[in-house]
Amino acid sequence: MSEYVIETYGLTKIYRSGGGTVVAVDRLDFKVEKSSIFGLLGPNGAGKTTLLMMLTGLILPTSGSGKVLGYDIVRESREVRRMVGFLPEGFGLYEHLTAEQNLEYIAALNDIPKPERRKRIEDILAIVGLYEVKDRRVSGFSRGMKQRLGIAQALLKDPELLIMDEPTAGLDPEGSKTFKDLVSKLNSEGRTIVLSTHLLFEVGPLCSSIAIMNRGRIVVQGRVRDLVSKLMSEEGYKIYVEVRGDSGRFASALMGMDGVRGVRMGLDGLYIDSTKDIRVDIVKIASELSIEVSSIRVEEPSLEDLFMRYYRGGGVDA
Amino acid sequence: MPSVSTVASREFSDIVRSKRFIILVAVFSIVFMVGIASIYLTVLSTARGLGIAMPTGFIGRAASVVASSISYFAPIIGIALGCDAISGEREKGTLRTVLAQPIYRDTFITGKFLAAFLAVSIAVSIASLVNVGGSMVILGVTPTGEDMVRLALFVAFSILYAVSYYGIAILLSTVARRTTQSVIVSVTLWAIFTFAIPIIASLVAYMYRPITSIEIMGRPGRNATNIRPSPEEMQRIMEQIRARAAITEAINSITPNHHFTKIAQYILGIPGSIMQSRPDLSIYQGLASAWPHTLVLVLVACITLIASYMIFVRQEVR
Repeated sequence: MSEYVIETYGLTKIYRSGGGTVVAVDRLDFKVEKSSIFGLLGPNGAGKTTLLMMLTGLILPTSGSGKVLGYDIVRESREVRRMVGFLPEGFGLYEHLTAEQNLEYIAALNDIPKPERRKRIEDILAIVGLYEVKDRRVSGFSRGMKQRLGIAQALLKDPELLIMDEPTAGLDPEGSKTFKDLVSKLNSEGRTIVLSTHLLFEVGPLCSSIAIMNRGRIVVQGRVRDLVSKLMSEEGYKIYVEVRGDSGRFASALMGMDGVRGVRMGLDGLYIDSTKDIRVDIVKIASELSIEVSSIRVEEPSLEDLFMRYYRGGGVDA
Repeated sequence: MPSVSTVASREFSDIVRSKRFIILVAVFSIVFMVGIASIYLTVLSTARGLGIAMPTGFIGRAASVVASSISYFAPIIGIALGCDAISGEREKGTLRTVLAQPIYRDTFITGKFLAAFLAVSIAVSIASLVNVGGSMVILGVTPTGEDMVRLALFVAFSILYAVSYYGIAILLSTVARRTTQSVIVSVTLWAIFTFAIPIIASLVAYMYRPITSIEIMGRPGRNATNIRPSPEEMQRIMEQIRARAAITEAINSITPNHHFTKIAQYILGIPGSIMQSRPDLSIYQGLASAWPHTLVLVLVACITLIASYMIFVRQEVR
């Protein structure tokens, strides 16, 4: 099988309503690597949910094509739904049923044989930490518990790919941590996880690769590491040097270096704004000036910086 | 492949355990009992006052009570079960969860229909049994074997009548974005069919075929105590009444209620209007006379269910 679990080519969804049209997803090309944790990031209304709905066969694309686990999302939609675990936004649980009854129903819809069903349900309830409350009605669950039950229903079919739409919305810090631990554990078992969210701080750090969506288009995508490097090369390097000695003389020397755009004095060191990575040259100059460098580091842009850069700027595909 | 029975059994279990279903059946049972008792007392006092005998036999005494009670109950139970069948799942988000499983959409909607059919059958049977039992106790008559056959047929047609309203309600539930919309439109339709159309039909008939009793009164030699029309005049009046009845029936025939009432008249032998004395048809003759009306109810149920099915299968789950 391909090294990608999701591939889309020119995937487009146009909604028609009230005589007008809304392009929810606009000619999308993107890929998700196997065994990765992929973050689909973007503000509300960016088209993330529509994209996930198309991938899981809940809505049909207007044009373009896509494959999930090697199956065509239109022609082989049922195979896709057989193989992919999906946690919809809001978790989509029957609140009047117990946790176990919810899972029983989903297991039956997936044709899991009865003798195997009970054991699998109990195992999964144990994994998500809900075994003790399996006989309680979902209406009495906290949001975090509902989310874990939602993940449990998605895990029932033992999916290779787990897609979750806004899984952390409304979770308290403890619920959020439990969720992250669970996602890491599931990923360590070899499952690919796709997380869609507008809450960058919650799931961003979990992701090995991301795509940022805005107005139906992916404005940037790739591995977090590559995107950070790209942003640094585009926007410059922020280098912090902690020194002992005459930092004023050192700053003057640095200002004359090729690529240096500015130097700012800090409490214990200097902040250097440069167009390239000049750490080696900085150490060399310090040595020439007999200035002791205690530490030197490049301050990498955070995911938030990435998000704001590409979200605000509209961006281009990486 | 997940079967229709998986969806049907869960849906049926949800329906019969729901407060809505239990309350509806209980309330209607109480209303039926009160209705039977009050009608019995009214008929008894009227019969004594006029010095005429009470109708004899079970059907003769209880039929109109049973028929009019069920004519209200069956549509309401049909609407109550159908109005949120699809829109309710959509609102709760459970539709996304279910349709993200490897299930065909027709399996889902067929399962819903089967469950509702079974629940409607139980509800109508309980309501009819309460009616019949109440009539036996209050009116003090015992149904004969033929009465039982007629009642069984009547229950079957009542189920069909309820299913036709279920079809209308599930169609509206499929189309409507919100359950409140489908409830409002379903109940409004029921009210129009039950109350507005018969009034409109009478008004239209009166406008086009007024009965000219004033004309008779105005003839020379006629006064308030001598208004007996001549045979020719009587024939003309009867023709006018027949023409009015034909117009009324033609307009009423757009409602399922009219066809159910006709079926009840033929099967239970209830007098239709002042022009129709009790038909006294055999069961076979009653069935033969009722079949065009049965066909209309079957068509209403089939067309609405097929339309719901076609819309739902193509509908996007957003």
